[in-house]
Amino acid sequence: MDHLLQLLVNGLSSGAVYALFALGYTLVFSVLGVINFAHGAVFTLGAYFTYLLIGGAVGANGLLAGLQLPFTLPFPLALLLAGVGAAAVSLLVEAAAFRPLRRRGADPLLALISSLGAGVILVNLLQLLVGAESYAIPTSALGTLPAAVSLGGAQVRTVQLLLMAIAALVVVVLTLWLERSRGGKALQAVAEDPTTARLLGINSDRMVQLAFGVSGFLAGVAGGLVGLSVSIAGPYFGIGYGLKGLGVLVLGGLGSVPGAVLGGLIVGLAEALVPADYSGFKDAVAYAFLFAVLLLRPRGLLGRPTITKV
Amino acid sequence: MPLDASLLVQMLLGALLGLSVYLPLRAGQLSLATPGFYAIGGYTAALLSTRFPALAGDGALYPLPSLLLELVLAALIAGALALAIGGPVLKLKGIYLAIATIALVEILRVLNLNLGFTGGATGLFAIPQPFEGPVGYLLLSLAVLALVCWLCARLERLRLGRAMEAIREDELAAACMGLDTARVKLLSFLFSALVAAVAGVISAHFLNTWNARQGSFDASITTLAFVVFGGSRTWLGPVVGGLALTALPELLRPVGDLRLVVYGLVILLGPILFPQGLITPELLRRLRWPFRQTSAEAPAP
Amino acid sequence: MIGARALGLVALLAALTGCGPGADTKPLNLSAGLPVGAALSLTGNANVYGQDQQIGLRLAQESVKGPGGKPVALRLEDGGSDEQSATSAFNLLIEGGAIALIGPTLSQQAFAADPIAQRRGVPVVAPSNTASGIPEIGSFISRVSAQSSVIAPLSIAKALELHPGIKRAAVFYAHDDAYSTSETTIFQKALSAKGLPPVTVQRTQLNDQDFQNQITAALRLKPDLIVLSLQAVDGGNLIRQLRELGYRGVIVVGNGMNTPNIYPICQKHCDGILIAQAYSPELDTPANREFVRRYKAAKGGAIPPQLTAQAFTALQVISEAADRLDRRQPLAKLNLRSARAALNSELLSGRYQTPLGEIGFTADGEVVQKQFFVAQVRMAPGGRTGRFALLN
Repeated sequence: MDHLLQLLVNGLSSGAVYALFALGYTLVFSVLGVINFAHGAVFTLGAYFTYLLIGGAVGANGLLAGLQLPFTLPFPLALLLAGVGAAAVSLLVEAAAFRPLRRRGADPLLALISSLGAGVILVNLLQLLVGAESYAIPTSALGTLPAAVSLGGAQVRTVQLLLMAIAALVVVVLTLWLERSRGGKALQAVAEDPTTARLLGINSDRMVQLAFGVSGFLAGVAGGLVGLSVSIAGPYFGIGYGLKGLGVLVLGGLGSVPGAVLGGLIVGLAEALVPADYSGFKDAVAYAFLFAVLLLRPRGLLGRPTITKV
Repeated sequence: MPLDASLLVQMLLGALLGLSVYLPLRAGQLSLATPGFYAIGGYTAALLSTRFPALAGDGALYPLPSLLLELVLAALIAGALALAIGGPVLKLKGIYLAIATIALVEILRVLNLNLGFTGGATGLFAIPQPFEGPVGYLLLSLAVLALVCWLCARLERLRLGRAMEAIREDELAAACMGLDTARVKLLSFLFSALVAAVAGVISAHFLNTWNARQGSFDASITTLAFVVFGGSRTWLGPVVGGLALTALPELLRPVGDLRLVVYGLVILLGPILFPQGLITPELLRRLRWPFRQTSAEAPAP
Repeated sequence: MIGARALGLVALLAALTGCGPGADTKPLNLSAGLPVGAALSLTGNANVYGQDQQIGLRLAQESVKGPGGKPVALRLEDGGSDEQSATSAFNLLIEGGAIALIGPTLSQQAFAADPIAQRRGVPVVAPSNTASGIPEIGSFISRVSAQSSVIAPLSIAKALELHPGIKRAAVFYAHDDAYSTSETTIFQKALSAKGLPPVTVQRTQLNDQDFQNQITAALRLKPDLIVLSLQAVDGGNLIRQLRELGYRGVIVVGNGMNTPNIYPICQKHCDGILIAQAYSPELDTPANREFVRRYKAAKGGAIPPQLTAQAFTALQVISEAADRLDRRQPLAKLNLRSARAALNSELLSGRYQTPLGEIGFTADGEVVQKQFFVAQVRMAPGGRTGRFALLN
């Protein structure tokens, strides 16, 4: 019983990261019907921003070797600002890779490739600037909290609890914002039907920017949290999460916020339940699961049947 | 001069992979399974040539009949898998098909890492050479590419090719006109698998080694970039895209540290500046390209 | 018409590839110094290794002299992290007239690129390939990176000597990494030889960051020794998570974690781990003291990692061998092909005082290294930096 509880907690905590990642993808997809392949790079940048803002120093390689900001922010503030920074980068990606194509009403497939190009640029620029070293946000950022706590016999690392709590908070705030606020409702209107939304006087360009901004913010926060709970494994580290996030996104159903969360938790749990002796097959389990779900439900678990783009 | 025979071989293999993504796309199917079938081809060649001494012959070079056997066997395995999974998978549409095929590539990759006989993470190495140097590979891949291109050009004039075109334009309408859309889509998926498997066989010998890193998610996206960059309306597009994008990182070596940044910039700007890809049917008409596909001018079959 | 065009294309390709192996009979060009080529992973997933190696080559270029006391003309190309890029870089360097090559960074890349050098008769000194079968690729292939077969059992023996009460060992390794998979079999054999067959073997993946599933599965079996064959980032993360989840026993790690890059990852939790080393910054020889001094001067007082020392050694070995050869048989009089062949046999027959200690080669090209080390990590208060304290 203890063991099962332990597996559930493990699965939920890794699922929380997948969910945060997939939420960013899904926001952009719901508005544009396109997958933003630069999302992983934005996530990576968020992690580096957080690291720098809490006073971390750049390593011995890269053009900015030895750089350290003259101030040190507390972790929560650094995380928020890093999210804002990541949102700014995300807007830049939108302006460079998406807007020119949208203006022409081009095939969404094109934006997929141009955003891939944007991601390649960001990752390689990052490497030129800060080198390829790995960093981690020092555990001292957590203050005096214990490293792990015992929950009914299961050992849980405090950072994982924190991560799950923040992920849950993000989902609640995001849902409330989408359902209650003017901006959120307008975003949903554009996602449902861009033409009607325009007739209602909603500026769809602004809505797309809003989606990219929020999506970048989520990616940045997720990056900072992963940097705290594990590490920032060099400029390429967002790519692995990007691929997993893509699977999660589709499993839950493209464009669906609850779907992204559900997908994240399911993949996290499925991976946790793989018997230890077969842990080499862990990644395949997530994709086999995705494959099976797609064959049974071609639009994912909670996907809306109305999306006809792509 | 970085454009040596060895790079040309890599470019030609890139063009073949581009065609493998293009074939299902001609029928409107965004399948990214190409690296999976490519990996199957590579493993078939690597396993046969390193584990069966009887195939290696007595001479210094690996016998061409053995290479031919590998090609046939790889095509059979990849083709059988394509037919087996094609039916259910091709019921998916658009991006869902793309992700399902990426999932397939990842599943194959993990299997290849875990199955004992594939050599695990190190992979298989010391793959025997059928040719003295890269020029032999160059001629072989050129011949294979020419054959596939010729078949593609033929296809564009055949009933099957037009059926694929019709499904791409409007699948529902094509089905209403009485086309067996499932069969046409399955055939295009099968062709794609065959081309990728053949490229994998050549590639395994050419690379001297094969491992699970050869068919990955990255490759899925890169090969799609070949098609989008080159153009997906005629077979010449993915060929040009595959040649150009494979050569680009090598040609950019003089740029130094900024090499991949510039490569990224080209991938970013390509679709924006050439939304139809570099090669479009209109461009070919203007250049009076002899393989052009406008069905009005094509002789009746 | 179609046929004519196809023929034209073939002719064009043939013309482009006209520059064939003819270059090999040209005289060796020593005008700028001994032409040595290096292909390292400066981009892609393995960039963190390539970056460490690049510094080693730069330092060696400053300090070692080639024939005639001239500095080495080192040409460094990005070998990427995939097989195709390494192959292209090797071809480029060989065509460029390099007398010897250093690289590529990953063993999988070596299996692709080394056969090309072998066929062209170009000596390759591998600075970081540790998989089985690398020197066996051919007579021109050698390496300065020792395999774990010698190193790993040492650290197990040391752990048991320090903690004789150890009863239950657990093993972790990354199943998609060539280094990890080959080293873990050696660790597992060494454990069994000591009467401690692993109670569990957990597989992870190179790019995994979260190991709670594997850790909780292993900790349920109550191990008191955990042996890791992992690289810096995944290994550092795993150690931190092990400690945070309450594991208090002994941790032994393999050669892949012999880099200060682990400090920022496992932080204070790195303290006390035992590590098998093919290079120790604390080795007290003139060659290593000089190397450490140069590294510290270039990198603001930091401690050099093993990959840097091995890359330095690779270039040192090539230039010393070329210098010896040149005194006996002036290189300038040889054509490229014979210079390469002569350098290869000279290289394999010599002994070298390097930062790794004294090394030589077997006839196959496998490194023969005198000293291996077991160190214990001691973290400074605050857990940001530390050192690998030698245990003797």
